[in-house]
Amino acid sequence: MRRKPRILIGKVGLDGHEVGARVVAKALADAGMEVIYTGLRQTPEMIVRTAIEEGVDLIGISILSGSHMTFFPEILRLLKAYQAEDIPFIAGGIIPAEDVERLKEMGVKEIFPPETPTSEIVRFVKGLLAERP
Amino acid sequence: MTTMDPKKLKELEEAKRAWEEQCLKPALETFPERRKNFLTDIGLNIERLYTPLDLERVDFDYEKDLGFPGQFPYTRGISPTMYRSAPWIVRAYSGFGEPELCNKRYKKLVEWGVDEIVMAVDLPTQVGYDSDHLMARGEVGKVGVAIDTLRDMEILFEGIPLNKLKRVSMLGNSFGPIALSLFIALGERQGLRPEEFVVDLQNDILKEYVARGTYIFPIRPSVRVTTDVVGYCARHAPHWYPSTLCANHLNAAGAGSSKAAAFAMANGVCYLRHLVEKGYAVDDVAPLFCMFLDERSDFFVAICHFRAARRVWAKILKEKFHAMDPRSTALKITAYSHGGETLLEPINNIARITLAALAYVLGGVQFLYNASYDEVLGTPSEEAAKISIRIQQILAHELGITSTVDPLGGSYFIETLTTEIEREISEEFEKVEALGGAIAAIEKGYYLSAITEGANRRQKEFERGERVSIGVNKWRIETKPPYGAFRIDPMIETKQVERLSKVKRERNERRVKEALQYVREVAQGEGNLVPPSLEAVRAYATIGEICDVLRSVFGEYQAREYFSAKGS
Repeated sequence: MRRKPRILIGKVGLDGHEVGARVVAKALADAGMEVIYTGLRQTPEMIVRTAIEEGVDLIGISILSGSHMTFFPEILRLLKAYQAEDIPFIAGGIIPAEDVERLKEMGVKEIFPPETPTSEIVRFVKGLLAERP
Repeated sequence: MTTMDPKKLKELEEAKRAWEEQCLKPALETFPERRKNFLTDIGLNIERLYTPLDLERVDFDYEKDLGFPGQFPYTRGISPTMYRSAPWIVRAYSGFGEPELCNKRYKKLVEWGVDEIVMAVDLPTQVGYDSDHLMARGEVGKVGVAIDTLRDMEILFEGIPLNKLKRVSMLGNSFGPIALSLFIALGERQGLRPEEFVVDLQNDILKEYVARGTYIFPIRPSVRVTTDVVGYCARHAPHWYPSTLCANHLNAAGAGSSKAAAFAMANGVCYLRHLVEKGYAVDDVAPLFCMFLDERSDFFVAICHFRAARRVWAKILKEKFHAMDPRSTALKITAYSHGGETLLEPINNIARITLAALAYVLGGVQFLYNASYDEVLGTPSEEAAKISIRIQQILAHELGITSTVDPLGGSYFIETLTTEIEREISEEFEKVEALGGAIAAIEKGYYLSAITEGANRRQKEFERGERVSIGVNKWRIETKPPYGAFRIDPMIETKQVERLSKVKRERNERRVKEALQYVREVAQGEGNLVPPSLEAVRAYATIGEICDVLRSVFGEYQAREYFSAKGS
């Protein structure tokens, strides 16, 4: 039998608002996934290393500090550098719509704005993981 | 005991029963109610109707529970005239980019008539990293203005003498002594003595370990860092407000307003006990605290929450600390008007913010600031910031809202709810006491479990549509969030780092070294951290340098690295 999907939920940078990250982590765990929450103040390097070491199937980053254009491209670059670009990367938080488009072009799979029902995130994650080889 | 005549009470009971039978029952058959229960966020059920019978039920007594404004237990307000003498302090929480750019916005705020500027500083500043630190990359000037040294403060307040405002403020939760010193030293540069202006700080570290997350040092040395600021002000600037006990962030994170207030009070009691142990008289330090309360879900609960909190605090100070000075028992309240702002149709947020502000005013707030309607998009635009201030000015000066003290006092509903909330806060406060106080409650995970439980409950209610958000989960039209967020130029980081290295080149390096050594010596001993911090700030030592010295003495707080939540 296939093991439970493993998800990494992380906070990158100095942003200390973690309600969203915790709520999403709980919703994914309730949906039968194993969730690793990194806690605060992670660097892109720490996120990618943890993801690889823990063998996760997906990375989800919450960010409300406005620093996404620094951190997200860096996470994508590191995933490539570590030959782990097959780990899909999704995000949520306060991210202006114009940045959402740019980040999705760069390779972020989906970005969920505030007010997104967690059920929608769960559905998306399940769909994405179902595509796995 | 209520003041109602038992015979009259009996008659009223009968009359109510008759009304239910003859009037209510048939009406319910034709017009059934929309819901079975009208539950509030804090879990209290709101009744269909309140009468003197409810006051009897909660054992309401005018003299015991209300009394008069300006007197114990301050339910009706902390001063006898309240807004008839002066409306609340209109605050603006503002800051972005680097000091030169931000100074332009501050000048506008002054022009628009704010009483107080609360500096929003960026995250590197809040956690004691300079703008050139590796961890600061990408974060400089983002959620607030970047401050590295006194030089930044001089630029930020160029053309704005500190005494032109009624108060000036910064959060400074993890490094209160440095935040305070920055204002003292800035005052010196502007030729002002501490007696001539008023500083208020958030400087409440305990809540950072469970909500907000801008801690630096471990919990115990952090309590010293926070309380040293209060102790210093008690001796040198007793008219300042060096610490604000925050329920706001705890409620925002999910605790619910009653628990959030109880936790904030427990945190305050922890600081007070620490100060008393250090030899301060309670009446020398208690008046310097205020409390940042918050209730964003229910309009009437917000009003009653403030009235109830004043009562609980007054009793704690009187019964547990034997405070004699009325300024110790009278709880000064700060609030932030917001609640359920949405990304979709953001202009609607003006209505939400206005109503939140009105509730706080009806609850007797002292210091108020409003969210900006576009805050959910990012840093507030100039127009949105101005509207936030105008809303407060309209409430204060139009419509007669401020003409009488505690206008809702005596309402059957308001008084019943106030008493019920008072009991909730008191009971929760006693639970924390029984656990061993605030630090124990944090270490045992008690605060965090209450917060997490509430956050998950709110999310579920929202998804089931029980928590209505107009334009989002009801009558939704727009599907995509709007464009056009206010943006911070990425060049700001470069500019700020250049300014920092210029300050470092030009300052007297020997003086900096000596001052940092003085910080180290005091930190290693028992002395107050403000005087050495002030020396270091005056010498243009950076916030990061001073924090590094403190880190080397106190260590750093290690948050739980990660946990696995296994699905069932």
